[in-house]
Amino acid sequence: MGNSIASSGYTFVLEERKEVSGEDLGLLQEKLLQLNWGVQHPASGPMRLKVWVDGDEVVKVDPDIGYVLRLLEKLVEYRTWINAIVNVERACFIDNFGTMTGYSIAAEKIAGVEVPKKADYVRTILCEAGRIVSHLLGLGGIVGVLGVHTPTQWALIAREKFLDAFEVYSGQRIATSSIVPGGVRFEPTGKFIEKMVTAVDFLEKEFIPRYGEVFIDNPTLKIRTVGVGKVSKEKAVEIGLAGPALRASGVPSDVRKDYPYAAYGELDFKVVIREEGDAYARYLVLWEEIQESAKIIRQAIEGLPEGDYRTKFPVKVPPGEAYVNVEWARGCFGFHLISDGGTGPYRLKMRAPSFANLWALPEIMKNVKLADVPVIFASLYMCHGDIDR
Amino acid sequence: MLEDVKVKVKETFGFESEPYDTNVLLIHAERNSVRKLLEFLKEQGFNYPHTVSVVDYIPKGEGFQVNYILENLSEKKFVMVRVNLTESDLTVPSVHDIFPPLQPHEREAWEMFGIEFIGNPRLEVMLLPDWAEGLYPLRKSYDFKKHRKPSKEKK
Repeated sequence: MGNSIASSGYTFVLEERKEVSGEDLGLLQEKLLQLNWGVQHPASGPMRLKVWVDGDEVVKVDPDIGYVLRLLEKLVEYRTWINAIVNVERACFIDNFGTMTGYSIAAEKIAGVEVPKKADYVRTILCEAGRIVSHLLGLGGIVGVLGVHTPTQWALIAREKFLDAFEVYSGQRIATSSIVPGGVRFEPTGKFIEKMVTAVDFLEKEFIPRYGEVFIDNPTLKIRTVGVGKVSKEKAVEIGLAGPALRASGVPSDVRKDYPYAAYGELDFKVVIREEGDAYARYLVLWEEIQESAKIIRQAIEGLPEGDYRTKFPVKVPPGEAYVNVEWARGCFGFHLISDGGTGPYRLKMRAPSFANLWALPEIMKNVKLADVPVIFASLYMCHGDIDR
Repeated sequence: MLEDVKVKVKETFGFESEPYDTNVLLIHAERNSVRKLLEFLKEQGFNYPHTVSVVDYIPKGEGFQVNYILENLSEKKFVMVRVNLTESDLTVPSVHDIFPPLQPHEREAWEMFGIEFIGNPRLEVMLLPDWAEGLYPLRKSYDFKKHRKPSKEKK
C-alpha cells in the first residue's frame, strides 16, 4: 500500500503494479488506483466497495461488509418460538413479511402444526404487498444511482398507500411483527382489506401507467443500462445469483411456483423471466413482478376464506429440524431451523439472497467501466440488513 | 429422482441417506470424501449451492455438523450433505473450486464457528470487526455476558 491522499471526503490509495498486460508501460500507467466507492452509504445501505481501476476500467472489486451486523442468528437463540419473529423480520425491514413467513413455516414443520387456510391467504396478501413495497424502492434505486430522483419519489407515494394498509392491520408501518408460527397475529378486518384494495388500485391505475410512460422505455436509461453487467444463463447459476437477478438471466427459478407455500399453489400467476441478463433486464423483471404481485393480491382478497386466522402453537417444540425456502422480495431466502426440544430455536441459519448476489458481484464487475459500477450494483437489488444479518 | 441419487450415492461412496423433507434428501457423508461427493452431485444436476450451515453439536457438546445445501434448478430438488466433526479436529476440505459461490459461506462459517476449511483462499474476518477474530460468537460456548458493554448505572 502506498500513500493516501484525503481530499473532499474521498480516499485514494496508490498501489504498485509490476506490469500491465505483460508490458512495462512507464511510470504513470504502472499504478493501479484503489477507489473507495461509498465509504459508508453508496446506494442502498452501509457498506464499502473497494474498486481497483486502471484508467477508468475496473480491474478488481472487493466488498467490505459488516457495518450492520446484529448477529440475528445468535439473538434468535435467546428468544421463544414466537418472540423470535422480531429478530427474523429485521433481516431486512423493507419486506419483513417474507422472512417471518419462512421462519414460521419452518417452526410449524418441526412442531407439526397445521395452519388455518385463512392465515395462508393473509400471509400471501402480506408477502405480495411486501414484495411490491420492496420492488418499488428497487426500481427507484436503479434510476436513482443515475442521478434522477423523481422515480424514487413517485415510488414512495405508491408505497405509502401500502404502508397505510399495514398500519391499519398491525399498528405499525414498517416492522409489523404480524406473522407468527401458527398463523397471523391479527384478524384481517374489512378496513384492512379496503385499504389494501385502495393501495392496489392506486398502483395499477395511477402509478403503473404514469411511471411506465416515462421511466420504462426511456432512451437515456436504456443507453446506461442495456448490455451493462451482462450475465449469461450458465454463468448466473455458476456464480450463484439469486432472485430477480437470476430470473433476468433466463433461469426460471421461483420458490412460489417450484415449492408452493402459503396459498400460492391455489393462485394463478406467472414467473417473470427475461433472457438478456443485463441491468435493463433486471430492471424490467422488477417492473413486471410488481404487476404480477398486484394480480396475486386481488385474487387472494377475492378468495379469502372464512374461519380462524391463528391456531395454538406449543410452548415447547419437539426436537427436529427443517430447511424451508421462501421467495422473498430479493430472492429465495432459506431457513435452516433446529429445535432441541426447548422453548425457543436452538439454531437458525439464514441463507440470504443478497449475500449470494453480493459475492457474485466481483465476477460481474470485471473489466467494466467505472461509471457502470453504480448501475450494476443497484440492478443486483441488494439489501444490507440482509447481507450482514 | 432423489431415489436414484440415494442408490447411486450408496453404490459409489457407501453413504447412507434418508428423506429429510418433501423434495429434500439428507446424505450422511464423511470428511475425506466430501469433495468427491459434491463433485458427483454437481454432475447429477445439483449445480446451485445454497449455503453451508454449521450446527454446534450432534450429539450435543461433542462436535459440529457441517451441512452443504444444494439445489437442482431443473428438477426442483434439494440435497443436504452432512459431515460430522469432532471437537478435537475441526477441519474440513474446502469446496470453493467446485462451487465458487460457497467460498464466502465457508468464510462466514469459519469466522462464526472456527471451522477451518482447508484450501479456502480467504479465511479472514468478513462480518465481524477485526478485534473479534477468534471469538467464534455463534458457538454455544460463547459467553454473551462477558462481551456485553457495561450498562449505565441505575439512577
